[in-house]
Amino acid sequence: MEITIEKRDAGTLVRVGGRMDAVAAPDFEKECAGVVESGEKLVVVDLAQLEYISSAGLRSILATAKKIKATGGAMKFSGLAGMVEEVFQVSGLGTLFEVAATPDEAF
Amino acid sequence: MKVHGIAFRLASLTLLVSSLILASIVGYNYTVSRSIIMDQAEDRGTLLARATSSRISNVLTSVRKVADAVSFSLEDGSLSEKRLNDLGNHIISDNPEIFGTAIAFEPYAFKADQEYYAPYHYRSQNRIAFTRLGGPDYQYFYMDWYQLPRELDRPVWTEPYFDEGGGHQLMSTYSVPFHRKRFDEKTLAGVVTADISLGWIKTMLSDLSEREAGYVFMLSRYGTFLAHPDADLVQNETIFSWAETLGRADIRELGRRMVAGESGIEEVDGLPLTGDSFLYFTSLPDQQWSIGVVFPKEAMFADVFRLNREVATLGILGFIALALLIIYLATRITRPLCNLTSSANEMASGNLDADVPVAASRDEVGELTASFLTMRESLKGYIANLTETTAAKERIESELRIAHDIQMGILPKLFPAFPERKEFDVYASIEPAKEVGGDLYDFFFLDDDHFCFLVGDVSGKGVPAAFFMAVTKTLLKVVAERDFDPGVVLAKVNDDLAEDNEACMFVTLFLAVIDIDSGETRYASAGHNPPLLLPADGPCEWVPPLNELVAGVMEGTSYTTKTMRMNPGDTLFIYTDGVTEAMDKDNNLYSEDRLMEEVNQCGGRSAESIIRTVAASIKAFTGGAEQSDDITMLAMQYLGSRKTNKEKHDGNND
Repeated sequence: MEITIEKRDAGTLVRVGGRMDAVAAPDFEKECAGVVESGEKLVVVDLAQLEYISSAGLRSILATAKKIKATGGAMKFSGLAGMVEEVFQVSGLGTLFEVAATPDEAF
Repeated sequence: MKVHGIAFRLASLTLLVSSLILASIVGYNYTVSRSIIMDQAEDRGTLLARATSSRISNVLTSVRKVADAVSFSLEDGSLSEKRLNDLGNHIISDNPEIFGTAIAFEPYAFKADQEYYAPYHYRSQNRIAFTRLGGPDYQYFYMDWYQLPRELDRPVWTEPYFDEGGGHQLMSTYSVPFHRKRFDEKTLAGVVTADISLGWIKTMLSDLSEREAGYVFMLSRYGTFLAHPDADLVQNETIFSWAETLGRADIRELGRRMVAGESGIEEVDGLPLTGDSFLYFTSLPDQQWSIGVVFPKEAMFADVFRLNREVATLGILGFIALALLIIYLATRITRPLCNLTSSANEMASGNLDADVPVAASRDEVGELTASFLTMRESLKGYIANLTETTAAKERIESELRIAHDIQMGILPKLFPAFPERKEFDVYASIEPAKEVGGDLYDFFFLDDDHFCFLVGDVSGKGVPAAFFMAVTKTLLKVVAERDFDPGVVLAKVNDDLAEDNEACMFVTLFLAVIDIDSGETRYASAGHNPPLLLPADGPCEWVPPLNELVAGVMEGTSYTTKTMRMNPGDTLFIYTDGVTEAMDKDNNLYSEDRLMEEVNQCGGRSAESIIRTVAASIKAFTGGAEQSDDITMLAMQYLGSRKTNKEKHDGNND
């Protein structure tokens, strides 16, 4: 799994690529925790390059979202496609978050 | 010592080199000492030949001088007979080297009436004897000693001869002609002689021969042997006849050079008496005799051989000492290594308490031994640590296994589950992954007519997932038995799970309640994969997804209850994502499409048969790749209500 963090004026963009499974999910959670602790109010997670997400990956997204919500911030998603989009849809996570087509639209 | 061992190689290499050095020292020593000895022998031989020649010359020269002086005094014609006798006596008494002397006159030259006049004085039994030579049976005028100087008119040394007249031994005579005035003319008056015994030369030469390793010999001007250790040769053979007898051309050539008065050194092989020899020769110019000194090579080189033998013996002793030392040293160096090797082998076979030789020396072997000990301690520590860790891990694994067994134990496993109910057939299977997972299924009657069945999948794995799964299953049963409506059940269970769920764990759930009388089925889904409905007569289809949120995330989530009707023979196939996300070795997913295709083949089969078919298909697809998620499937096949069945049954009876 590859994670890149890009600080923008409006918030922070976190790009995730590869496979987000039980092994990689804690890394994602840790990276995002760092962003949240720095006081960021808007985190946009771009999943355009994500090939696979497991239930452990979903859990880490939910856990991160909970942390951001607790600080009064918001978490948005962009670039959902293929299997990832399907998982978001089936699991109902798509109804829980604001989802945009591209990162720019999300900000 | 091992053939490929360090000790053997070290010893053999060192000994090879030292034996080469030794061999070259012995060889060099032999060459140099041989050449020194040859030089010395050459000097000595030449010197000996010259010294002998000059010693003989000295004696002969004094004899010659005496005879020359006598001949001069005989020029005086007034010498009386008595004076002549006195002269003869004096010559003998004053010159011990002269054996005899004759003063021989020409016929009728001394006395007119005497044809022969030749008084001869000689030594005989320690006194001087006197006789007169000449007579009809000894006409001295014709003897060599008289005739040669007379005809040549100069002094002559005669060829050595064996004197039968006076001395009975090998003699040589020096004859000097003398003249007197007669008719104012100097005419030859006679010959004065000095006989000299060659016995002393022979004695001198044989003394020399005894002192030296070789011998000395003497040749006359014609090559006759005058002296030689082989007495048969003396006076009987010339060097030329001897060479002929031996068949040796080189000796003949040598004889020619000696007789010609040359001096020199010659190497002559295979001589009688001495074998391979060196010959040094020189001449006596006056007499034209020749002296030869023979040194046998064997005797000359005896010293060289002895010296070399001693050097070689010393060398061999040194070599043996060196060999022993090297073998001792090499063994001493390699023995600790050998010991260390056997310790290492023993250790390698698992005995870490094997004796390690004490590192007594502070050399490389000592350092190696010390490193080895350190390694052993590290290994021991590591193994102890590993044993401890393994034990702890085994304990945890064993506990996990028990947890897993307990988890599996709470799922209904007995099939057929309701053998007395003919309205439906339910079958479920769970194939757990290696790690404890969180899949669950359950089915139970809510009342006589309502049958509840469900499949769920808890996020993540391990003990937390297992706990969450157990809690969910318990909650579901408790809540479902109170509220028959699937949407309400999921909402209540969600609220309970979401409360204080810091870890944000969640569970996807598909829960359905069927009225087994009518086949009316109500269901709700909390983010679960859409199940497949396989109708009795036709291709299967996905149950339309509701896309509602997974359970346990957010309190207050509400879930929709949908209704569908199952006709007799219809089967509802519910599964977890372990089925569609099962992977082969190349990480290809089993996929929804493949599942649908497989289930489509199962028209008209029992619930158990459908699940076994799909399970076999998954197994074939993964081809033994490690399973990463639980694979859970539940098939609910509706067979029709009791009434319908009964009617059918009764109808058949009619």
